[in-house]
Amino acid sequence: MVRGVRFLLAVGLVLSLLFAGSATAQDDEKVVAVLTPYLASATTQIMVEQFEAYGNTKGWKVNVIDTAGDLAALDSRIQDVVTQNVDAIVISANPELVPAGIESANGAGIPVFGMDAGSTLGLELDVTSNNYQMAAATASYIVDRLEGVGRVVMFVHPPYAPVQKRGVIAQSIFDNTPDIEIVDQVFVAVPGPIENARNAMENLLTANPEPGSINAVWAAWDEPAIGALQAIQAAGRENEGIVIVGIDAIGPAREAIAEGSNFEATIAQDFVGIAQTLADSIEQHLGGAVLPQKTLYVPATLVNQSNAQ
Amino acid sequence: MRIVIIASRIAHRKWLRKYGTAIGFLGVVLLFWALKPTTFMTLPNWLNITQQVSILCVVAFTMTAVMVVGDFDLSVGTMASLVGITAASLMKSGQPIPVAISVALLVGVLGGVVNGLLVAYAKLPPFIATLGTLTAFGGLALYISGGNTIYGRAIPQAFGQFGRNGIPLGSIDGRAVNLPNLTILSATVFAAVWFTLEKTVFGRRLYAIGSNAEASRLVGIRVRMLKLLAFAISGLGAAIAGLMLTSRLASANPTQGDGLMLNAIAAVFLGMTMSEQGEPHVLGTLLGVLILGVLANGLTQLQINTYIQQILTGSIIITAVLTGSLSRRRS
Repeated sequence: MVRGVRFLLAVGLVLSLLFAGSATAQDDEKVVAVLTPYLASATTQIMVEQFEAYGNTKGWKVNVIDTAGDLAALDSRIQDVVTQNVDAIVISANPELVPAGIESANGAGIPVFGMDAGSTLGLELDVTSNNYQMAAATASYIVDRLEGVGRVVMFVHPPYAPVQKRGVIAQSIFDNTPDIEIVDQVFVAVPGPIENARNAMENLLTANPEPGSINAVWAAWDEPAIGALQAIQAAGRENEGIVIVGIDAIGPAREAIAEGSNFEATIAQDFVGIAQTLADSIEQHLGGAVLPQKTLYVPATLVNQSNAQ
Repeated sequence: MRIVIIASRIAHRKWLRKYGTAIGFLGVVLLFWALKPTTFMTLPNWLNITQQVSILCVVAFTMTAVMVVGDFDLSVGTMASLVGITAASLMKSGQPIPVAISVALLVGVLGGVVNGLLVAYAKLPPFIATLGTLTAFGGLALYISGGNTIYGRAIPQAFGQFGRNGIPLGSIDGRAVNLPNLTILSATVFAAVWFTLEKTVFGRRLYAIGSNAEASRLVGIRVRMLKLLAFAISGLGAAIAGLMLTSRLASANPTQGDGLMLNAIAAVFLGMTMSEQGEPHVLGTLLGVLILGVLANGLTQLQINTYIQQILTGSIIITAVLTGSLSRRRS
């Protein structure tokens, strides 16, 4: 038994040393910590990967930390990287929800930057897409396609600020169109948005069996839109002309749009542009430059069948 | 001679069984100290760790009471979320902070009582009963908040600042060092739970129920009532944790406490490896929470991949609990 414990301790020690040795930055290397609770989300992943790759070309050691949806853990990990004295911190979450961590970074003089953060509290800069604009574009797309008449299902997720902004705008546009009726606003649980949206859509289709009783699906991001498409196809109701729109233009969404399915449009945020603009701005800041503004919007483009591929 | 050797071996094993986890913890601390000599073993970092684990501490300490009687409570995480949303909604609607806190604590105790009634009186297995209330409390939190996060001016500054401030201890390298309010609060809960479980008749009866509920009933212990009270304690702890979380983040999100449950159970199990009979004690739970907190803090400072961190933490929990149970089986 004693031998076994010693063996385990020894293995643990060696493993830890190996990991530590491989991860520790050289003295002159700039260390940038990227923290998010949303790395499981496809879009956050693209931004973080792009940022990491672009940061590495600048000679930085980019340390990515995911807290799997846990904001209290995010707050703690921000404090840890402050203790570690990194050169800059990037967060992909609303800084207003992790005030203690942001305060400790500000107190230690470590600059904090937002990657699609949705607020600039305590940040030097937030680089993001304009969520209000994107939601307006997709909601207007539905109103135009339905010629102002029809019943719409909305898929929303208010706890995440950028997505909450989209929902508010889309609802305003639908409410402002007298003959558009919102059938239901479905709260999509995360993780598992595709599965959860699919289940909810199946139930709504069951509850509304008449062809034409649901005319459109507005999803605050692409994953619930894909779930809704799967449900419509599984129910054999893809020929009723139900229009689906999403936001983010992730790979499967582009494929579905290119195939000419019910999924007709989405918006491509320029994630590469966000990541690169952010990395360039951080480089300028670390070089002593003063950043001219606190929020930088990177333009987004509507994607439909003509430009989905 | 042979008897002496065997006796010494048995004593050695007993000692190892009791202190193996603590020694492992010490080893991890020394390792981090050696690898991060300038940042890990510093007073500000340790105060940070105590603040980071304070919320989990409160949930795990009070969960210990339920696990002492041989049950467990899966609903503590969503209860913490529900309590946070309740308090934040009340404050948003203009209610004074003391009213919001009192109602929120009451919600926690009531939730615990519901769990207690289902397990002790309706005889539902705790897994089923608290799985049901886990889902119901989570749904209620989403319903009350409409799924929205409550933050900004809705949370009074005095309430939001409490979770970030503390008692000034002086300054190191020009930066103020505070003993965090949340650390003090969790230490107070620790003292209260330790005293209740270890020093009162009520506590000893809970241990008796955990060891043999039927025998306890036969000697006149009111098993059902005491189990219900244990769940009420757990509900109260989840409520305090929910308020601490809302104060620390100066915001309430309908799912923000959900992750506490698994970590709290893991901490109690880690702590159970320290006891001879494998029963939960709050001192062991404290060690369990510290292991989880120190691992998260140290591994982050070492810039170890976030997914590898999870694998390492899970492996360490399994190793510790397995070592404890194997050594008990052998003896």
